[in-house]
Amino acid sequence: MKAVKGKFFFGGVHVPDMKALSADAPIEELPEPPAVTIATCQSLGKPAIPCVAVGETVAKGQLIAKADGEISSNVFASISGKVTAITSLENECGQQGQFIVIEGDGSGNTQYLPPLSDPSKEEIIERVRQAGIVGLGGAGFPTAVKLTPRTPVDTFIINGSECEPYLTCDHRVMIEKTDEVVRGARYIAKALGVDRIMIGIELNKPDCIAAFEKYDDVQVVALRKIYPMGGEKQLIYSATGRKVPGGKLPADVGVVVNNVATCLGVCEAIELGKPDFDSILTVSGKAIERTANVQVPVGTPISYIIEKCGGEKSAPKKVVLGGPMTGVAVKSYDLYVKKTTSGILLLTEEEAAAEEPTPCLNCGMCADHCPMHLMPMDTAFYSNAGDFESAEKLGGAMYCIECGVCEYVCPAKRPLIQAIRKTKAAVRARNKGGK
Amino acid sequence: MDNSIVISTPPHVKSKRTTRTVMLDVLIALAPAAICGIVYFLLDAFILEITCVAFAVIAEFIYFFIARGGFNVRFANEETKALSKKISALKKEGKPFQEEAAALKAKREELRKAAFAKSRSVFFRFFKQFDFTSVVTGLILALILPPTAIWYEAAIGSAFAIIVVKMAFGGTGRNIANPASVGRVFMFISFAITTYTAANFGPVLEVTGDELTSGATYLSGAMLIEDPNLGALSLLDLFLGTGVAGCIGETCKLALIVGFVYLVVRRVIKWWQPVLYLVVLGLMTALLNLDFAFFLPSILSGGAMFGAIFMFTDYVTSPKGVYAQIVYYALAGLLTAVMRHFLQIEVVSFVIILMNLIVPLLDRYIRRRPFGFRREKKQKEVADK
Repeated sequence: MKAVKGKFFFGGVHVPDMKALSADAPIEELPEPPAVTIATCQSLGKPAIPCVAVGETVAKGQLIAKADGEISSNVFASISGKVTAITSLENECGQQGQFIVIEGDGSGNTQYLPPLSDPSKEEIIERVRQAGIVGLGGAGFPTAVKLTPRTPVDTFIINGSECEPYLTCDHRVMIEKTDEVVRGARYIAKALGVDRIMIGIELNKPDCIAAFEKYDDVQVVALRKIYPMGGEKQLIYSATGRKVPGGKLPADVGVVVNNVATCLGVCEAIELGKPDFDSILTVSGKAIERTANVQVPVGTPISYIIEKCGGEKSAPKKVVLGGPMTGVAVKSYDLYVKKTTSGILLLTEEEAAAEEPTPCLNCGMCADHCPMHLMPMDTAFYSNAGDFESAEKLGGAMYCIECGVCEYVCPAKRPLIQAIRKTKAAVRARNKGGK
Repeated sequence: MDNSIVISTPPHVKSKRTTRTVMLDVLIALAPAAICGIVYFLLDAFILEITCVAFAVIAEFIYFFIARGGFNVRFANEETKALSKKISALKKEGKPFQEEAAALKAKREELRKAAFAKSRSVFFRFFKQFDFTSVVTGLILALILPPTAIWYEAAIGSAFAIIVVKMAFGGTGRNIANPASVGRVFMFISFAITTYTAANFGPVLEVTGDELTSGATYLSGAMLIEDPNLGALSLLDLFLGTGVAGCIGETCKLALIVGFVYLVVRRVIKWWQPVLYLVVLGLMTALLNLDFAFFLPSILSGGAMFGAIFMFTDYVTSPKGVYAQIVYYALAGLLTAVMRHFLQIEVVSFVIILMNLIVPLLDRYIRRRPFGFRREKKQKEVADK
């Protein structure tokens, strides 16, 4: 279907997108690493419970940790081999987490789920839950929960905007696996019982727009190139004109949003029976020798990927897992790929900002660019003073989506996101105590 | 992988714009006006500009140096005091004291070195944090002074603006009113008022009192008379500032518009902010006089345009939210028109201060609703049902 233009919203900022670094590199499958270290916490919510013992031999795609409750996801062995340890290690956020170490034997044994042909609604949802598919947009919300909304839904939106600078893995998926993405989207639409499928793509990816225009049942929405276009609320507003109220889910306005990589995962889980055990990610930045889009098993060490990409070109100033606007800066390469990891960025000093904050000018640029129309400077001011009530009320911190636009535009380089997170934590703690 | 890697909260990329570049942009935008001032008023303007900027920076430096403890150094402590007591006691007893004296000398040398090191570090810290805000303040103050001002008056005004209005409230970003306009009003009140009044009124003094009453500003008065002998100015003269008595930087509107375009292109200010102020000002003047001919003269005369572009838009003392900004500029335009009409003097500096003082109120009560905001009341009503 012919592309339509997205609805305009105020706020957002043009970030130099730097996608040219890796946009032309096709997705390559790296050779299997000798060992993988898989976190049991691959999604939002509770970590999964390991169901294999140390010393057991596992096949690729075998269930190794079971979901604990509704908001949690199954974890699968990403290479065939032997479980050598189940230990507690530090994850990328600096917290301790449980990890399962598998040493590969190179046999390539696989154990997939049986493929389904023409599945029913319940079968799709059950398969998505079994295959441990999570939202690959960043937060890692289990997809099966999204497929069973409590309120009636009439639209399914594929999030193909990829507004984060540097990242190009979704872009490559959309070009190389267009058909799989659309088939996955059809399965999701069937599970939800909707027949309106939309895909939001930013205008800086005209090749993707052209690729999706060929399908008659997919409505392409050409979005302005602005950050944070891929934010769920902004995307829904641009595509349908509906505003998601604060503290509510998209399903409350009749919309479900999923990432393109998630659609691909759903398609593979149903047609091939392949559980979610690998991750497509972008390796980029000016400090890496060779930028690439790679497909690696979950649990691959970051150092292995960097080595395969030629190593460091120059000493990086910052190493980021995920996109530069919302990702996590890490201090060591001894970390492991998760299902939701969308990029590894090695930023040079010139790219990464690490400047000392100067006094706030009250210029209001953060408020001008805030896509949620908040007052980040008020939040920061009051939260530094310890007055979290005013910080919440005047700054509107609880509406914040933590996109990072305010801090990006701030000429004084104030740590605004930090202040907002602090306020949110304080308000949540207070609300819990009150109840 | 080494220790040079930095970790922080996101975002990990930031815009290249810093406070310093913003202020440099403002300085570049002010340059045409400053140069035009020198062209029109020659040495007077040049001396005033240099004095104001120099004294603003010096005042900021002195305040910073004192406040950060640059002078708060000690050349004596308990040890040296004890040593000197001991020496005097030894002297009284007539015993040899050379050893103690040498120790005392060494101690004092050490202390002095530490004190100088501290002063030096404060000195360098000043230049590290220097962000050109005081240069901007000084230059703006110079440009809103009449060329007849005396250099030491300008120096006092400039130092007052920086020390009392800016630094005493906490430095960059914390001043409650625009320092330049407060400095200007301070000079207006403190020093020979007639100088300023005359300069403000310019041609008005050539018009007799009766003819003045009908006009909101001196110019409208002059225009109404339509007598070439009285030296009525054409709009073009007003626009270019030729033959207009006025403040150094305010006369040539063309230079101001060049600066405005630069600021808008660099996205330092929003284009609609000064425009809104000027349009409201012009319309209100026309309404008060019931004659649309007043529209352009009221905009082009006096400090309205300079104030609109460089002083109302000052980041620190203007509201942050969009709706608050609209109210701020519209209200400022109304206030300027009304006060000009009834007071018959140039009031833009006063209006700037008045409006600056209500900015915290505007910021607090006129705010945008968050995206997807729902009134709490509605939810309660739903719950009741």
